[in-house]
Amino acid sequence: MAGVNLQLRHAYSIAQFVPTISSPSPSPQRARLGISPSRVLFCNLRATSAAAATLRTTRRSATVAASSVSSAVDSLVGDRDDVGRIPLLEVKDLRAVIVESRQEILKGVNLVVYEGEIHAVMGKNGSGKSTFSKVLVGHPDYEVTGGSIVFKGQNLLDMEPEERSLAGLFMSFQSPVEIPGVSNMDFLNMAFNARKRKLGQPELDPIQFYSHLVSKLEVVNMKTDFLNRNVNEGFSGGERKRNEILQLAVLGAELAILDEIDSGLDVDALQDVAKAVNGLLTPKNSVLMITHYQRLLDYIKPTLIHIMENGRIIKTGDNSLAKLLEKEGYKAISG
Amino acid sequence: MNLNQLYKNLSDRCKRETEREREGEPSRNPLMAATTVLGRLSSIPNLSPKPKPKPYRRTTPTSVSVRAQASFSDPFVLQLAESLEDSLSASPSSSSSSLPLQRIRESSAETLLSIPWPSRKDEPFRFTDTSFIRYSQIEPVSTHHWNSQILDNLTETHLPNAVIIDGFVSNLTIGPSDLPDGVYFGSFSGLPDELTNRVSEFIGNFDSGDLFWSINGMGAPDLTVIYVPAGCKVENSIHLRYFAGETGDRGSKKLPVSNPRVFVLVEEGGEIGIVEEFVGKDEDGYYWTNPVLEVVVQKNAKVKHSYLQRESMAAAHIKWTFVRQEAESEYELVEVSTGGRLGRHNVHVQQLGPDTLTELTTFHMCVNEQTLDLHSRIVLDHPRGCSRQLHKCIVAHSSGQAVFDGNVRVNKYAQQTDAGQLTRSLLLKPRATVNIKPNLQIIADDVKCSHGAAISDLEEDQLFYFQARGIDLGTARRALISSFGSEVIEKFPNRVIRDQARNHVKCLL
Repeated sequence: MAGVNLQLRHAYSIAQFVPTISSPSPSPQRARLGISPSRVLFCNLRATSAAAATLRTTRRSATVAASSVSSAVDSLVGDRDDVGRIPLLEVKDLRAVIVESRQEILKGVNLVVYEGEIHAVMGKNGSGKSTFSKVLVGHPDYEVTGGSIVFKGQNLLDMEPEERSLAGLFMSFQSPVEIPGVSNMDFLNMAFNARKRKLGQPELDPIQFYSHLVSKLEVVNMKTDFLNRNVNEGFSGGERKRNEILQLAVLGAELAILDEIDSGLDVDALQDVAKAVNGLLTPKNSVLMITHYQRLLDYIKPTLIHIMENGRIIKTGDNSLAKLLEKEGYKAISG
Repeated sequence: MNLNQLYKNLSDRCKRETEREREGEPSRNPLMAATTVLGRLSSIPNLSPKPKPKPYRRTTPTSVSVRAQASFSDPFVLQLAESLEDSLSASPSSSSSSLPLQRIRESSAETLLSIPWPSRKDEPFRFTDTSFIRYSQIEPVSTHHWNSQILDNLTETHLPNAVIIDGFVSNLTIGPSDLPDGVYFGSFSGLPDELTNRVSEFIGNFDSGDLFWSINGMGAPDLTVIYVPAGCKVENSIHLRYFAGETGDRGSKKLPVSNPRVFVLVEEGGEIGIVEEFVGKDEDGYYWTNPVLEVVVQKNAKVKHSYLQRESMAAAHIKWTFVRQEAESEYELVEVSTGGRLGRHNVHVQQLGPDTLTELTTFHMCVNEQTLDLHSRIVLDHPRGCSRQLHKCIVAHSSGQAVFDGNVRVNKYAQQTDAGQLTRSLLLKPRATVNIKPNLQIIADDVKCSHGAAISDLEEDQLFYFQARGIDLGTARRALISSFGSEVIEKFPNRVIRDQARNHVKCLL
């Protein structure tokens, strides 16, 4: 619900519609908006509900009414939209710069992910995909200069990276850093116990934790000696990605952001990783994956695909978008 | 002639000479006097027939440099030498002291006559300030303190071990099955006759030592010997635990100095592990440990040397390790040093034959107002030697300082040498300091040598990786800092020592 609410408000404000919308017939207005200059923005705002267009009902008008008076993000928690979906992540007009150079990378990203959905973000190199995922988890190299990110009703921008992680946000790194001297096992145990502490549950000692881990190892098809190695040290490309997914399997996450988990993987490894991700999906968990290739989407079927260009999401659609892209390149979309 | 008298004579004469010089009188070269007297001494029968390598000054009178004369007598050093000598005569063990030990004393006495106390103007001490020792009231430990308190508090070790208090072996524990036949571990005086000559042939033949080497030579009350015969592979490491029994205090400036000395000879094809552990029993014990370890690794033999230095934070610790490696031998050092207001380790590895392997892996951590210093020198004179050196340091105090001078000399005949050196430092506080001087001197032309130095704070990326997995910054920092050292700690061959070092480092952070 909340997502719709915000999106609409935003879309309208851009179209300078604000005062008049609480009236009963939003559908025609939407149609009009669809051809207005704010079309692009609107499209991706409505990305999710567009996929379920047939179910739009009168409930929407009430939402819009609410939105015109309320700016409180918190009121959105637990709200469901018209199809009963619960928004997990809502990104609104997100702008971010590189701290060092002050170069703006994200120039107004809008995105809503509902529980249980799989979203894919595609785009050219340098379009801001990875920056977007890093900003979501609070990477210190970037500074958010505008917009908002709401995750499970909480303002993500107020949270430290570790708090975001503990809140249920997980990002698998595109090229995870080596940490010599810290074993995989110790690292996972530390992270796992941090989570337990947060939940007020008893922490596991290394022996208890080990037995918990062994079952997870099968998920990513790894041997136990993997645990004794130092985090990512001397790992092959495939091992690094598997390791990221292992961490996801152990720590769990409501929203998993997978930044190019398919890069540098051979076909077998890709299948393993995809299988693992699919295995971790539940009706409540969502995935936001960033990829360059259609191939990954064959294994992990996305609900929606977004195309990113120059720091914005310029198009949203279903799987056919990826197919078009594969065939004709980004020209077909941005051109 | 009594050595003591002789020395007294000598030093009196030196003093007179200096005075005369000051008064502008032409002086007879006192150094010559010293060398002649000592030359006579070294002809005492029974002494090993092998001549000492000649110090440069013994050759001709003209070679005595002006500098040597000018710096000839540091009254402070002379006084120190005297008090060391006195302490030995007071000690009961000196009456039975062996010839090699006497020889060491003589040559040390000779050297002490010509070395002044080092100042910051001397290159090897450019960053290492020894003045707090200099301006303390140094008192050689003369009596054998049987400190049962120390012995009681010792944690059990399953290794054959010796507890060395103030340089005296106080407790020697060797289980019946600990050491194979033929291996000797104990005081030089207990050495079987047939080994005496074999061992004494090597003792004290080192002319690149500094003042502290000689101070040890002058003041060592005993010589502990570890002897491994040819072909013998000793399974259990030998564990040496050093304590300071007598401590002074900062207020009265009384600084007891002890000079433990250990000699290791591993004959052809033999193998042994040696663990040296220096422990300060209380946090602010004020004392000075000045140990020397000499190691001779003969053909195809292997020595694994573990060295854990956790002296008290007020103490001074200046150690010399002198290693000679014959052909195809291996020497491996793993060091973790954290203690001492001043901690310095001088390592000198001398290659005596081709195809040697030398590995130095060291870790220094300053968490206090302290200086930790590693001066290493690997001298390669023969073909196909291989040396690997990794030195890491952490400075986690704004008045802390780490010093590293890593010298590798690849001389003319050391072709196809493979020498690698890497040093990494973490500076965790503002104004924390490291002074790093990696230096390779290569004369041979067909060699593979590398060196590198990196100085940084913790990596942002690594910290973020922890945070991204829900681990808070404090925990992440601690984990990364201890992981920095664990690259070295993991190298300890013995699991118990490894755990001990790991816990110790963890406690300090």
